[in-house]
Amino acid sequence: MKEFTEEELAQYNGKNGNPVYVVYKGKVYDLSASFLWKDGTHQVLHRAGVDLTEALEQAPHGGDVLEKFPVVGVLHGVGMSDIPSKP
Amino acid sequence: MARVAREMVEKAGIDVDQLVELLVKNAAAELTTYYYYTILRCNLIGLEGEGIKEIAETARIEDRNHFEALVPRIYELGGKLPDDMKAFHDVSACPPARLPKDPTDTLAMLKVLVEAERCAVRGYTYICNLTAGKDHRTYDLSQAILNEEIEHESWFSEFLGEGPSGHFMRRGETSPFVSKFLK
Repeated sequence: MKEFTEEELAQYNGKNGNPVYVVYKGKVYDLSASFLWKDGTHQVLHRAGVDLTEALEQAPHGGDVLEKFPVVGVLHGVGMSDIPSKP
Repeated sequence: MARVAREMVEKAGIDVDQLVELLVKNAAAELTTYYYYTILRCNLIGLEGEGIKEIAETARIEDRNHFEALVPRIYELGGKLPDDMKAFHDVSACPPARLPKDPTDTLAMLKVLVEAERCAVRGYTYICNLTAGKDHRTYDLSQAILNEEIEHESWFSEFLGEGPSGHFMRRGETSPFVSKFLK
């Protein structure tokens, strides 16, 4: 599985036709197909291309909303044993 | 624009432009849902569909009320609605509640309805969290809308077999929580 550095991840910000990738608990999700992530922005305040683990803890939904989106890699520096099998 | 009202919100630490954008997106979600629910309601027919038609209609009317209640707050805070209706549709905070491919599939329609309500519940919870103790008027409005969206969700989820909603349907009047913003 591809490993992304934070710098690489930042390119997938949904701008200028780039895919929309976000990290949650070490996994990189491709949210390009999500209506709620158009142009790499979600609910005005959240941007793609970053680790949203902390932000998601405060969100009015759980990580389960990510289950229907493909996992395209892992964030560099996160051990596989640290990554839960489910979001 | 209500200049001092906006200043008070800014002074409380809220990025008002971001808040306005969020309110516009949710107003778009309400108006588009009103539109899509109109189509869903028209297709809720037959032995299964008729039982759901009435609550779909109530939710539809209340979503329009939510739109009407949000608009003044957007303008008070110095925002505005997009000039172009299509652009407005496309910035919606929630996905379109489209009629399922098989318009006779009542279960599929119920799932569309409940997902639309859940998106709204998440959205207004988010705005409430953002404005609590900082922007009293937007909080009050969002909380009123949230109360109604939660009821809509529970009505539809009851039909999906997720357990009883615990309350009755409206009796005559709609929008028991939001109506104070419409007077």
